[in-house]
Amino acid sequence: MTLTREELQKLALPLLIAIGFAVVGAGIIYSAGEGLRMAQARLAVAQTERRQNAERLARIAEEEREVSQKLDVYKQLKSLNILGEERRLEWADAINRIRVQRELLDVRYRVERQKLVTSAAGKPANVDFFASTMRVDLQLLHEEDLLRFLADLRASGNAYYAVRKCVLTRTGQAVGGTTMTPRLSAQCDIDLITIIDRAAKG
Amino acid sequence: MATRRILYVTAEDHYLYRAGGGGLELEGKFPGDDLGVSAFREHLLSRPGGLFSVVADLAGEDFHEEQIPFLRGGDRDAIVQRRLAQRYRDTRLATALSLGEAPSAERRNERLLLASFTNTQQLAPWLDALEEADARLAGVYSAPLLAPALATKLGVRGGRALIVTATRAGLRQCYVDQGRLRFARLERTIDMVPQALAMFVRSETHRLAQYLVTLRALPREGAPVQVFVIAPPGQREVFEQALSSDARLVFHTVDYANALQSVGLKKVPEVTRAEALFLHLAATKPPREQFASRQDRRRYLVWQLQRGIVAAGAAGFLACALYGGAKWLEVMDLRDQAAVQQLQARTAAEQYERITAAFPVTQTSSENLKVAVVEFRRIADRSASPERALIHISQVLARFPQMEIDSVNWSVGRAAERGGLRPAANAAPGARPDTAGDVAVIVEVSGRVNATQRTDYRGITAQVESFATALAASGYQLVERKLPFDITSEGTLTGDIGATDTGEAPRFTIVFARSLP
Repeated sequence: MTLTREELQKLALPLLIAIGFAVVGAGIIYSAGEGLRMAQARLAVAQTERRQNAERLARIAEEEREVSQKLDVYKQLKSLNILGEERRLEWADAINRIRVQRELLDVRYRVERQKLVTSAAGKPANVDFFASTMRVDLQLLHEEDLLRFLADLRASGNAYYAVRKCVLTRTGQAVGGTTMTPRLSAQCDIDLITIIDRAAKG
Repeated sequence: MATRRILYVTAEDHYLYRAGGGGLELEGKFPGDDLGVSAFREHLLSRPGGLFSVVADLAGEDFHEEQIPFLRGGDRDAIVQRRLAQRYRDTRLATALSLGEAPSAERRNERLLLASFTNTQQLAPWLDALEEADARLAGVYSAPLLAPALATKLGVRGGRALIVTATRAGLRQCYVDQGRLRFARLERTIDMVPQALAMFVRSETHRLAQYLVTLRALPREGAPVQVFVIAPPGQREVFEQALSSDARLVFHTVDYANALQSVGLKKVPEVTRAEALFLHLAATKPPREQFASRQDRRRYLVWQLQRGIVAAGAAGFLACALYGGAKWLEVMDLRDQAAVQQLQARTAAEQYERITAAFPVTQTSSENLKVAVVEFRRIADRSASPERALIHISQVLARFPQMEIDSVNWSVGRAAERGGLRPAANAAPGARPDTAGDVAVIVEVSGRVNATQRTDYRGITAQVESFATALAASGYQLVERKLPFDITSEGTLTGDIGATDTGEAPRFTIVFARSLP
């Protein structure tokens, strides 16, 4: 059926209405698509935030556990004055006290100047480990005197005592008379280790 | 839905009905003469552009069966038009109803029932009036064209059936075979009492059946024909008494009210008779076949096109709305998910704050606390004390009283740094100390072998070897030993046989080590 001009004009209004429907429909789809895109973006942001918070929470829980475990050791280091500045006077006092208490014949010592052993990276500042090497010369009646001396030194605190070297030799002196003659001499190198925590308060 | 008007055309008067809402309403009655046409024109002037259907209930309706080659499309249309033109002088109101494929051994043919009115001039002025009023003519139907639809509504399922109705035009009889119209006739009636009308129906039905047999439209022998007679209101019992079935015809009397219900007609004017059934079907379920030409229906077709375009737009809009709705549902779901995620994020943040608040109080940062302890443990692990080594030496010496120790050199260092470190000669193959490259406790023991003759090289060597082996136990490994007599190929072996014995005991040096973690 061929349409006349008049009939085509009659189809104009329905066509406009149909186009209007189509435009409104397309608008609905567009707005729905935009809404969907925004909702997806919002969901992605929320998911990222949730994941980050969950990870942070997991980390802090782990950190809390680790801190709790290490806190006792840290406190002990603090109480033994291993953590903090060197206390050379206390070291000297301790050696004198041990010599007297253990009735050692002769004790000579010399503490070298402090040097940095290692610097561990921390936050917000590093933790530095220092060592002052002490050379001790002992005159001994028995080798056990050396062991007691070292044990007493460790118990005195104020540093961590890491023995690096000990040479034990016979003196070869003859025993006799009323004076006590040392049978052994010992020479030890001991690192007196202290820790400086740059982030520590007070 | 647009209101449809039905012009019911009879030989005397024409009636204009308005169809809608499941009912019929009589809008006007017009005489069948020129005055009636004029009145109809005037009536249309007040309602221009309406939607119209015409239902003709006239006696002069011709039915003629033809066969044409089995064709489709334009070829079929052309041949149908040619056959109609051959059959009828005026083809303005003529149609061809397909009766299906004709059984033929020679070639495929299609059976057609050509139908038209013997006097189309009865209808032409009325169609012209509609044309002049810009009315949209949906179609021109006759009561017989609507009979198959009525038969279906009355419950006829296939087979041969006669539909008998009493309309304003007279007694209408339609023969429907397998759901297709085959023949119809209209017998004019005068006002009769119900009994007379029933008897008239019976006699006319038998006459029609006989005629159909003559036309060979009905087989002479065979199953009885079902006759559905729609009795006028209140006359069903009278009709049932009068219409007795026999071997040829089986009568089913249908009450008028039931028939109205069957076609879904709820409201009809009181004066209307059985033609209401045909009119309602023309308004609600018009058959594809009708008499009006394409030119007469042009406005209607354009109107349908208009509606189709709008409907297509609406369907598109609906589809978009459904799709958009589904998307918005998805959006709502995503928003819910986002809300849940936000809630979980907030909860985690709150929990974090709570844990942080309950954190152990330290005088440093958590990070420094950790590195200080970790590094200190590392240093402590790599430190040692001479006690263990001295105890070990004492225990071994208890088993070797002939050995006299001059010095013990205990140190912490790298075993590899001791020059020329190599496995001991009697060490197990491949038992290279694992102290070689790592920090270890290294003990160097120097001493003498007593109570053995200096000339007993083998004995002294064996005792020192045995002593060294005993020291290289309890976690210690032998690093080096220096025997009183160098018996290796690399060394220098010396002797002073026959000379005076100096009494000096042979000296040895043994180095053993224990690795630190």
